[in-house]
Amino acid sequence: MVDFARVQKELQECNRDFEVSGIRVVPKSEANLAHLLGTIPGPLGTPYEGGTFKIDINLTDGYPFEPPKMKFVTKVWHPNISSQSGAICLDILKDQWSPALTLKTALLSIQALLSAPEPDDPQDAVVAQQYLREHHTFLGTARYWTEAFAMTSSLDVEEKVKKLVEMGFPETLVRSALDSVGGDENLALEKLCSG
Amino acid sequence: MEEDYYMSGDSEEEEDYYSPDRDEESLDGLENDDTGAQWNPSKAFSSKVITKESLLAAQREDLRRVMDLLSVREHHARTLLIHYRWDVEKLIAVYVEKGKPCLFAAAGVTVVERLDPESSSTLMCIICMDDIPAEDVTKMDCGHSFCNHCWTEHFVIKIKEGQSKRIRCMAHKCNAICDEAIIRKLVSLRHPDLAEKFDRFLLESYIEDNKMVKWCPSVPHCGNAIRVENDEYCEVECSCGLQFCFSCLSETHSPCSCLMWELWTKKCRDESETVNWMTVHTKPCPKCHKPVEKNGGCNLVSCICGQPFCWLCGGATGRDHTWSHIANHSCGRYKEDTEKNAERAKRDLYRYMHYHNRYKAHTDSFKQESRLKETIKEKVSSLEARDSNLRDFSWVMNGLYRLFRSRRALSYSYPFAFYMFGDELFKDEMTNCKREIKQHLFEDQQQQLESNVEKLSKFLEEPFDEYTEEQVMQIRMQVLNLSVITDNLCKKMYECIENDLLGSLQFTIHPIAPYQSKGIEKAEELSVGWTQAPYNEKCQKAADQFKGRVI
Repeated sequence: MVDFARVQKELQECNRDFEVSGIRVVPKSEANLAHLLGTIPGPLGTPYEGGTFKIDINLTDGYPFEPPKMKFVTKVWHPNISSQSGAICLDILKDQWSPALTLKTALLSIQALLSAPEPDDPQDAVVAQQYLREHHTFLGTARYWTEAFAMTSSLDVEEKVKKLVEMGFPETLVRSALDSVGGDENLALEKLCSG
Repeated sequence: MEEDYYMSGDSEEEEDYYSPDRDEESLDGLENDDTGAQWNPSKAFSSKVITKESLLAAQREDLRRVMDLLSVREHHARTLLIHYRWDVEKLIAVYVEKGKPCLFAAAGVTVVERLDPESSSTLMCIICMDDIPAEDVTKMDCGHSFCNHCWTEHFVIKIKEGQSKRIRCMAHKCNAICDEAIIRKLVSLRHPDLAEKFDRFLLESYIEDNKMVKWCPSVPHCGNAIRVENDEYCEVECSCGLQFCFSCLSETHSPCSCLMWELWTKKCRDESETVNWMTVHTKPCPKCHKPVEKNGGCNLVSCICGQPFCWLCGGATGRDHTWSHIANHSCGRYKEDTEKNAERAKRDLYRYMHYHNRYKAHTDSFKQESRLKETIKEKVSSLEARDSNLRDFSWVMNGLYRLFRSRRALSYSYPFAFYMFGDELFKDEMTNCKREIKQHLFEDQQQQLESNVEKLSKFLEEPFDEYTEEQVMQIRMQVLNLSVITDNLCKKMYECIENDLLGSLQFTIHPIAPYQSKGIEKAEELSVGWTQAPYNEKCQKAADQFKGRVI
């Protein structure tokens, strides 16, 4: 069984210092704490700057003694992240996992991975080749993907709010729901419906 | 050089002959100091059988040495030995060369000074994030403390993952291996079955992780393992009776090297030779792609599907054929390449068939002769029943064992020759000229061995129980003679293979099990000097000791 008491505590602690870290973890639905959504801001000074990256988190029964399963939902151009599936190649998510690590520290490590790619141990060979041989093109593509997939312009948000309000939800609730799931329209709707 | 070798072999052989006109009296004396004819297992055991019961004792020897040398506790010694794959010499070498801290760090052994016990009554476990009473918290050697509940969960998951041998501390980036006594104690409280599994993993590590120890490959498994002392390239017999090559765990196959034997069995199993035959004798139909065999006549062939095609090039054609022309088709010139390929395939196939037939013939003879054992026993008992001067019939059995031994060597010498003088393994190792010389040298030896083995077989098959005393003496003489000769010839053939043939290779090493004149060594049972009880007692003691310290 997943240790839900610990997951609860982790969520509280993580969201408490959201202002500092910019990292957020929320349950996809209140009923199931084993399926979560994490968001990390793209690190400054990288092509990912300004983007908000969503990460799908699944906790296995052995958590925290087994690593959480994490993958990018937001498309991202990075040597250690599959451009197709969002799978992440990171040692602490595999054999270097320690029960003393938390969801927040894992997300911080992923954020660190965004700033410091390891092209010698790639998840996506195509991206890694480009990173090594045509670094300039790599930076361009990574930036383009960040702008295209990881940035929700304010216009987008307004459109979503409008859409949800038209469905009959109060605007304040819609805004807070959208905010808590990192701007994902469908998740926000799910959240609004569930309560 | 090689010429000399051969000559000297020849002359020795002459000396070894017992000439039939030797004195009758001397023969009795000869029987006893004639090493070739005596069939006693070698006395200097270089391999040991490890049974379920003696596994603990076997491990214990190595653990003791390390514990004494480094003055560490048993679980530290085990962790070190598992890390160095139970190679005590290697471990000591690292210790001497790099010192204790380096040796320990690499294996994940931490021995820290005891810290003062925590003063507060409750501690926060950072795994479950709860406040835990101090008596439910356990501190590992590396200094990290977590609550017993979390430790247990961690251990259970690692044991289930099959990582019993290296369960690391839960702290991030802590490389320390957990104390096996604590693991045993905590896990057995909630999952006694897993604690047992854990113990078994640790015990079996001595076999699994040890280069010099291997499970006996018997099916169904006899439960034994074999430990060799010096050379891993040898052939052994387990106490269950199975003889095998220690290095590759397949049947004994010297003088073939393990690689040659693997390739040979694969080749015999595969249908690759059939495929070769098809390349030579058939062509695929251009329409339905079935292989078509040409059964004589002209080069206009038609497949059962109705498609006519040209036999020379395999291309589809029309149906009409004149003496100079096939309708709708002209394949032009003779194509040298394809012809050459077919030639080569044909040659390779014949070469393989040559060696395989001889290999097969000798293994078949070996099987036939194995049945001889019973009839020979009968013959001996009927001879013994006779009232005569002849009393000792050990020469019959000894001769038979010699026959078995040399027959095996002979049959495996064919796959050896197939690879030694073929293109597959050693194409670049020697020039054609040199290869030819070596091949002649080897084949001469092989031939001599072959003819003597056949002679030995012939004499042993004779109905000597019906013969007169005089005739039996004759047979006895022949069998004794031939036993010595075949033994020497086997020895020489192995020497030739080890020194002149495999020994001269430059790019590869093909170790083979040495020739054992007395047969494949039976591994000796490892003596059990102590039983399981003290071991468990010790674990318990270690656990108690620990309890006393931490809580």
